[in-house]
Amino acid sequence: MTLLSVENLRVTFPSDHGPVEVVRGLSFTLGRERLGIVGESGSGKSMTGRAVMGLVAPPGRVTADRLEFEGRDLRSLPEREFRALRGPRMSMVLQDPRYSLNPVIRIGAQIEEALAVHGNLTAKDRRTRMLDALNAVRIDDPERVARLYPHEVSGGMGQRVMIAMMVVLEPALMIADEPTSALDVSVRGQVLDILDDLVKRRGMGLMLISHDLNMVARWCDRILVMYRGEVVEELGAGALHQAQHPYTRGLIASLPRLDETRDRLPVLDRSLL
Amino acid sequence: MISVRDLSVRFGETTVLHSVSFDVAKGESFALLGESGSGKSTILKALSGQVTDWTGALQIADTVLRPGHRARLARTVQMVFQDPFGSLHPRRTLDDTLSEPLAIHGQPDRDKRVLAMLDAVGLPRRFRFRLPHQLSGGQRQRVAIARALMLDPPVLLLDEPTSALDVSVQAEILNLLKSLQEEKGLTFLLVTHDLPVVSFMCDRLAILRAGRIEEMADVAALRAARLESDYGQELIRRSQHG
Repeated sequence: MTLLSVENLRVTFPSDHGPVEVVRGLSFTLGRERLGIVGESGSGKSMTGRAVMGLVAPPGRVTADRLEFEGRDLRSLPEREFRALRGPRMSMVLQDPRYSLNPVIRIGAQIEEALAVHGNLTAKDRRTRMLDALNAVRIDDPERVARLYPHEVSGGMGQRVMIAMMVVLEPALMIADEPTSALDVSVRGQVLDILDDLVKRRGMGLMLISHDLNMVARWCDRILVMYRGEVVEELGAGALHQAQHPYTRGLIASLPRLDETRDRLPVLDRSLL
Repeated sequence: MISVRDLSVRFGETTVLHSVSFDVAKGESFALLGESGSGKSTILKALSGQVTDWTGALQIADTVLRPGHRARLARTVQMVFQDPFGSLHPRRTLDDTLSEPLAIHGQPDRDKRVLAMLDAVGLPRRFRFRLPHQLSGGQRQRVAIARALMLDPPVLLLDEPTSALDVSVQAEILNLLKSLQEEKGLTFLLVTHDLPVVSFMCDRLAILRAGRIEEMADVAALRAARLESDYGQELIRRSQHG
């Protein structure tokens, strides 16, 4: 079932030299699956996620031939209704929990706040749901963690709290923008497992935005490779080695490998692209 | 070139390094691998004189460091940091950044040496009077490396020098560091959590965990995925399977 369909999405920003298109005619559909979007800085991958969430601030402009989420046209949706959608139906996990959690509010209260804004549960029910959500992201002692402030938990735990805050509302679509790049290798696996679990058990659709080609390739059902605001290649799971486009191939070649024997790494020649 | 003997560092009640020892030969690249909090950056801080409250014995080139003293190290060892956005003065041109160490140390031919260094790190000469915000992340990291090399130190401490960069830019910077090392016979101490980068750059490595060296190995063992400690194997597994 299609959750999100995007056709000819464009994001434009004005500049001194006229408008600059940072996303140039992107089209894709997303079902209840894991879609990876990879690209380097400035490829437009984060802007794509923000455009879907309706979070591109003026003077940026978003246009599309089609931008539909659960059958609703997002292009003409009033901000008020969009706000009701963000959180309960679609939500976003950002890169660094240190910047996205409120430092002066206890973790439990922050998660409950999401429920208070978007529903009419009693305080007791909110608390139960909050503890369940912390449990779902594999926090062993939710009662204790709920009482902590964000600075008292590690980066990996902070990111799990962020995810708990998103899943407590059980959204249908989750956009994760570099959810593991600020984390240690050892906790990355855990965070990805939790996201995976949510896709499988709750039938969520996931857009994973990352610059880490290998991680996305191992982990997603489909991959879109973006370069300069366009999709240059779409690849199936584990088919990274079959990449055809010179940009994708250049990226793969420039990554050092564990069994590295090359004296110099090949550098992407952008003039050929 | 670098000698670390029984280095222990405590911050208040917490011991962050438990008698760590290793040696790095001249012209060698040595990697310190470990997760956040394993103490790898603290070792760099002790070696560069930023942490002075330690016990043990430290020596870089001919300089013997003493706890509690700030040694004159600028011409012996320099550091390149992870984030090229945070490590350059935002309101100083590249020319200011690169010629300041020469001015402080009263060295001649500043003009010529700044231009030579721009050439050496592969930056066009016309960038000389630009400000950091006019450069890309990769170009800024080149400036940070140029700045570190202005006083010709024999030792560079590299703290995750490419982890904030895109992969294609990472390849350029790693190639540059390797070329500079070969040209100038530099000694590198590299801190990272990225195993493939170690395979590409380094000769030997030490794996740190909770302030202790878990294992020291030749890079050949890493390339063949044959580290001896369980923790080393775990790192390899994670690096290969996410």
